[in-house]
Amino acid sequence: MIRTSVEVWIEEPLRRFVDDASVSLALLLHPSGQVLAQYGFTRAMDIMSACALAAAIHVSAAELGKQLEGKPFSGLHHAGKVRQIFLADARTASGAYIFLTVFDERSSLGLVRLYFDEFRANLAKAAPLPSEAPEPMLNENFERELNKNLAVLFGRA
Amino acid sequence: MSLVNYQTREITCKIVYYGPGRSGKTTNLHYIYSQVPHDRKGKMVSLATQTDRTLFFDFLPLDLGMISGFTTRFQLYTVPGQVYYQATRKLVLQGADGVVFVADSQARQLQENIESFQDLHQNLSEQSVDPRSIPLVIQYNKQDLPRDLILTTTELSDAINFRGVPDYAGDALHGPGVFETLRGISEIVLKRLSTPSSAR
Repeated sequence: MIRTSVEVWIEEPLRRFVDDASVSLALLLHPSGQVLAQYGFTRAMDIMSACALAAAIHVSAAELGKQLEGKPFSGLHHAGKVRQIFLADARTASGAYIFLTVFDERSSLGLVRLYFDEFRANLAKAAPLPSEAPEPMLNENFERELNKNLAVLFGRA
Repeated sequence: MSLVNYQTREITCKIVYYGPGRSGKTTNLHYIYSQVPHDRKGKMVSLATQTDRTLFFDFLPLDLGMISGFTTRFQLYTVPGQVYYQATRKLVLQGADGVVFVADSQARQLQENIESFQDLHQNLSEQSVDPRSIPLVIQYNKQDLPRDLILTTTELSDAINFRGVPDYAGDALHGPGVFETLRGISEIVLKRLSTPSSAR
């Protein structure tokens, strides 16, 4: 089950990938580190940390690739003792994204790569064209709530 | 750009603490981390050298709670300040919704502050972000140091704040100014989400 998806069009391709590849975690994120969809995480804060690190790894690997081969590395695999990660980019009409997935002995790198190619194609098919910037959604007097919440956060309420 | 999830009514914003090396960017995040209740923050991630200088970035996710019916979260990042980490700074700055420029108030650091502020503007321009329109606040940190070592906020403002953005005196090690700075940048960033795009 997809727990978080910022945009509906991502849900079906991601659900299929998770089911087919039998991975335990999956994240689709913007290169700036913002999550677009996720599977398997239970805490929003953990998602944000994973996204920040995934974006950093991806962009570092890309720069390293440019220096070594003149073009960015677009995928990365790391095998731990129990779990493995696979990180790669996915380009669509609505932008370039980064995909991170974590899997264990229930899957394999070959399987993940196979279904990732399919996921990437499905994502590209489903992606809408870039749309206009969203219209404002916060109330004009949001400052009162912001100040109250920040005061609570800092123990000043 | 702030990420808005209309389905789950969530807003996520990326705030980058920028400034010269050793100006106190990481210290700001450490102070925030120490003050915020456990259930409202994630783990603070620090990609640092063995001597605790920021190598890639520090990262702290914060849950600001409900604002206008949206669960609002901020991702706080720092950049490495040292001049030779230019490439890393550009990467971390990518997609920022707002910037806190942390200046070092020590008189001998004035030139570093100015150069770092120019570096910020150049890096934003290279990412096709208009430096004059991105939400920005300045914190003059280390105002707790002896008077003969530091410049006043007025002197620093004259030297750095030519845009006239909101600025704050700070002592990130002990806390004064940290909250006010975060509140300042939060207000400006969220204000963009309550303003029609044509009027921004």
